[in-house]
Amino acid sequence: METTSKETIITVKVNNISYTERVPCNMTLLQFLKDKLMLTGTKEGCGIGECGACTVIMNGKSVLSCLMLAAEADGAEIRTVEGEAGEQGLTALQQAFIDHGATQCGFCTPGMIMSAQELLERNPSPDREEIVEAIAGNLCRCTGYEPIIQAVQAVARDARDARNARNRGK
Amino acid sequence: MIKPFGFIKPKTVEEALSALQVPNSVCLAGGSDLLVEMRNGLKNPDLVVDIKGLKEAAEFSFDPRKGITIGAGVSLNFLAAHKGIRESCPALAEAAASIGSYQIRNRATLVGNICNASPAADMAPVLYILGAEMVIAGPGGEKTLPVSEFMTGVKQNALSAGEFVIKVNIPPLPRARMAFMKKQRVRGHDLALINAAGLADADAQLLRICVGACAVRPVLLEGTDELYRKEKNPDKLAEAVAGLASASVSPIDDVRASAEYRRDLVRVFARRIVKQVCAA
Repeated sequence: METTSKETIITVKVNNISYTERVPCNMTLLQFLKDKLMLTGTKEGCGIGECGACTVIMNGKSVLSCLMLAAEADGAEIRTVEGEAGEQGLTALQQAFIDHGATQCGFCTPGMIMSAQELLERNPSPDREEIVEAIAGNLCRCTGYEPIIQAVQAVARDARDARNARNRGK
Repeated sequence: MIKPFGFIKPKTVEEALSALQVPNSVCLAGGSDLLVEMRNGLKNPDLVVDIKGLKEAAEFSFDPRKGITIGAGVSLNFLAAHKGIRESCPALAEAAASIGSYQIRNRATLVGNICNASPAADMAPVLYILGAEMVIAGPGGEKTLPVSEFMTGVKQNALSAGEFVIKVNIPPLPRARMAFMKKQRVRGHDLALINAAGLADADAQLLRICVGACAVRPVLLEGTDELYRKEKNPDKLAEAVAGLASASVSPIDDVRASAEYRRDLVRVFARRIVKQVCAA
């Protein structure tokens, strides 16, 4: 059992691409994403788990990458904001953020998007309280939060309307 | 910068105990306390032992008649969302849901909250009133310790070097009304400036109340069963418990609140808890 090495090898899938890298054991997941993988979308706002700017989705759950070691992500599947928009363009949530003025300086936005997206994937019709709870860990200094909440509500509403339309068509 | 360290994720308790024999090694579960401490230079381990690979850490069982077992790796969000806990032991779910933020609760653990042993630990009051026990693995074997003996001081616990907590056992649940309260400066992500949990079992004539963040350790009020048995008038009972609570705590001034404010809130919380759990 080797305990003297200060480095470890991890294999992690990020936005559907698999990486195998040697990393220092004391490297955080945030540092790994930004400095090793050059995925600079995820932000460091505080580094101590209080602002949420570093939020990513790991194995389906929103987590703070500044409070995780890269070593802990061995074998995991990670989604960062870079993986959201695809061939179809921006996601509904990203477009709603633009439409509702939910992004001003943009610094909180990647973390906000990941928190809100994770919410909508586990609860497609959240009420206001549920939205507030999901993003309470993401601080925003610009918008006052209301446009962000409205953007998430709009996406939930559109998804609900689309579901109802499909059900009526059956 | 965090000082370089080694990292190991043991697959068995024996491997974990062996790793913890390395001097200056620490356990890692959720990491929401440890990573912050390492970042701030308060902890500088040479080896981090990730216990989340142990099957014992993932253990969870729930049966109101047999009790609840919560492994060291079980997250707060798991507990907060668990239907059985929300129905039969709501104070436990509410306490779990009150900690940190949603993202933190996806990783942070109940066991970690107790091991960190802040006087304001939000999981402590509920575990105290339920008589929970910590199950500890060590070089000498396995042992259990009541949570009230496990939390020994400000950020101090009863673990010796080389030991770690594998799980928490909660005894069969009383048929009781429960309450949990937490006062924060802001809604959302904040520590408690005072927290408290209480339960009342009318059949067994039990009243248990524990207050946190008002002394170096959570304070389980003594003599509440007797008061409950003797005082049938709910308002007088609430006042009596409020007086007992106020006399039992020794709060300090800190960044979150003054001692004076805490002394006042202890009475308010005690009264509210009694009214909530002792309702006819």
